[in-house]
Amino acid sequence: MALPVTAAPAAPVRAVSARHFVRLKLRVMGNNFRGQGWRVALFIGGALVGLWFAASGFFLFAAPGLAGDDRYAMLIAAAGGGLLVLGWLLLPLVFFGVDETLDPARFALLPLPRRTLVVGLFTAALVSVPVLAVLIATFGLVLTAWALGGWSAGLVAAVGVVAGLLLCVAASRAVTSAFATMLRSRRVRDLAAVLLAVVAALLGPLQIFGLAALRETDWDRLTGVASVIGWTPFGAPWTAGIDVAQGRVWAAPLKLLITVVALAALLAWWSRSLESAMVGAASTGRAPVRRGVTGGAVAQLFPRVASWVRRDQFGALVAREARYWWRDARRRANLITIAVVGIFVPVMLNFGGAGFVAEGEQGLTLGASDSSPVLVTLSMLFVGVLASVTLANQFGFDGSAYAANVVAGVTGRVELRARMTAFSLYVLPMLAVVAVALSVVLGRPGWIGLTAGSLAATYGAGLAVNSFVSVLGAYSLPETSNPFAMNSGAGVAKGLLTLLAMVTSAVVAVPMVVAAALLGDAWLWLALPVGTAYGLGAALLGAYLAGDVLDRRQPELLATVTPRR
Amino acid sequence: MTGEHPALALRGLAKRFDGTIAVAGVDLDVPAGSFYGLLGPNGAGKTTTLSMAVGLLRPDAGSAWVLGHDVWRDPVTAKRLLGVMPDGVRLFDRLTGAELLAYNGLLRGMDPAVVDQRSAELLDVLALGDAGRTLVVDYSAGMKKKIGLACALLHGPRVLVLDEPFEAVDPVSAALIRDILTRYAAGGGTVVFSSHVMEVVERLCSHVAILAGGIIKRVGTIDEVRGDRSLEQVFVEVVGGRTATGEELSWLSR
Repeated sequence: MALPVTAAPAAPVRAVSARHFVRLKLRVMGNNFRGQGWRVALFIGGALVGLWFAASGFFLFAAPGLAGDDRYAMLIAAAGGGLLVLGWLLLPLVFFGVDETLDPARFALLPLPRRTLVVGLFTAALVSVPVLAVLIATFGLVLTAWALGGWSAGLVAAVGVVAGLLLCVAASRAVTSAFATMLRSRRVRDLAAVLLAVVAALLGPLQIFGLAALRETDWDRLTGVASVIGWTPFGAPWTAGIDVAQGRVWAAPLKLLITVVALAALLAWWSRSLESAMVGAASTGRAPVRRGVTGGAVAQLFPRVASWVRRDQFGALVAREARYWWRDARRRANLITIAVVGIFVPVMLNFGGAGFVAEGEQGLTLGASDSSPVLVTLSMLFVGVLASVTLANQFGFDGSAYAANVVAGVTGRVELRARMTAFSLYVLPMLAVVAVALSVVLGRPGWIGLTAGSLAATYGAGLAVNSFVSVLGAYSLPETSNPFAMNSGAGVAKGLLTLLAMVTSAVVAVPMVVAAALLGDAWLWLALPVGTAYGLGAALLGAYLAGDVLDRRQPELLATVTPRR
Repeated sequence: MTGEHPALALRGLAKRFDGTIAVAGVDLDVPAGSFYGLLGPNGAGKTTTLSMAVGLLRPDAGSAWVLGHDVWRDPVTAKRLLGVMPDGVRLFDRLTGAELLAYNGLLRGMDPAVVDQRSAELLDVLALGDAGRTLVVDYSAGMKKKIGLACALLHGPRVLVLDEPFEAVDPVSAALIRDILTRYAAGGGTVVFSSHVMEVVERLCSHVAILAGGIIKRVGTIDEVRGDRSLEQVFVEVVGGRTATGEELSWLSR
């Protein structure tokens, strides 16, 4: 029975199916939990949060059915479902990343047909808490369709909901994979950065439109818009059941066809970028040798933005961090997010009022805003907190390379102050632009002090809070070149940690909101000096106190940010 | 002042991970000026031991001294005397070679002019000058080892701790690394390195310790450990390797 090792079987003895991928994913997830009580706790916490959202979504989608009122059924199905697809499309890019429990690169050497691989990875991607939550939520639509149109409508709605869910997952995988491929190549990274910015920027106008639409009392016209959305891939899967319930039986097969075609297109797109992801991991290609070295080693280390920093331990840390914020795709993606969200969220919040609505035939027009100092301060609070929360896992970005700092015996305070400084080299100019732009757009140049002061205060407070979070709550990021990848289990941890950091930062910055509410016009002048002093003081105090903590647990921090292999 | 202290002294170092014991109480004295080889099969605990010795991994028990300074009580002084090249740890690899050296030099509190001068020399000697503006992430495995060694040497440490310096290195680079280490030791420095390449250890080391299953099995000068046999024979005997009987894996040979 001695079969020569070189005689490969003509056909695999047992074909690999999607089932194997799902089992592999469950096994990997399970092994990650082993002996890590806090991970289990975080996972359960995340699952509960997901269930809560699922339940509220369910009742929202089921409301027309429960009320027995079919006027708004189409609107809720199209708008709610459309937002879901959009969320799956954009949120991984902007905030959360995708779960890469099963990293496609690991399958590069296995003799698997691409179709098997895509179907398998896709099926495995379906095994996740968010997918379950969306499934529960959207079954509200099935209930609505059944209540309004009987069992046939309910059945069509169920098929539609499942198809819609598949569409969501396929969209998020295809888009992140494509962007990861683009960001990986140094040549097109700037182009990709711009594209990502544009995609994320779509969030802004859409939300403004949404807010305006909510204020619009003419629901019938919105239903018209909804039925248009219902014929796009965004709304088609969700509205098919409602169509049957409302007597347009012919529409259902067409909408399901639209969904299936969109799904097939997305999977084909994903499959193409998957190929390059797999090959790219094996060899990123030799970068061309760039010559033209000028100056000594020290002069080369310091980038132009950090050229003023003194040439010592602190300076070296600042210079290296400043280089990393630009050269590391993962960090650069974060900077782009801050830039885009930092502009749009304040504009949305402040124009969300009565001034910015669809009026008559003119459509959307920029009217006088009904903004107030408190609202402005609140929107600045959000931007400042969002910018600083990027540092919540700043040591995770470094991974095991942080060992160099441990070996060199860098003290915690210097470390944290340098990291804040380097990050601020990029972020402070952005925040200044946000502050000026917002007050100009609002037509209140006199509020520059208010916007800038609030931003400085919240940003500084956020830096302080995130120093602690980054030292105490660090987690490892996978060593892949996909800037959107996360370790399994880390998804929930990352979400909760980010949330905690943001809430705490906001609480620390609340005095600025109180001052804006109580002090009236005087605050317009005081905000800038007071806010700047508050922010700077908070950041320095944070680095001072968190630096002590860091000194005591440097090796432990190194261990937590080192990826397990 | 530190003449009477060993370059590196380990007492009862122990570490367990998730219930498995990685290192079970290691005692070791590395005399100043020696060339010390830490031998062991894969998974013997070499990396864990060295990480605890240089302050990268907190031991569950035991302590480590560098020239009489406690690594865990007085880390600043101890780390100043140490040059370390860990294995399986990334460098800050999105810097160029020169930038990485400048970073490490300044991090050690060195004078910028000295950093410039030494970096240029090191890059030249290690044949990394041609890489120019190439990022370390794009270096080959051998180049990464060499730049790692340069980072460890830059500040002129008294004790050099290297984890697997000859792993994945081509013969030309290996010879270069050997020459540099020999010169460093001849100048009064102490080198401690882990390896499982017997030939290199036999050629370079004045002292060896064989580590297996988290404990030191043999220790002493190379002649004491080796006796009248080859180091490889002693190593295999101590570690207790198995030899294939020929019955299993028959499908490998037609």
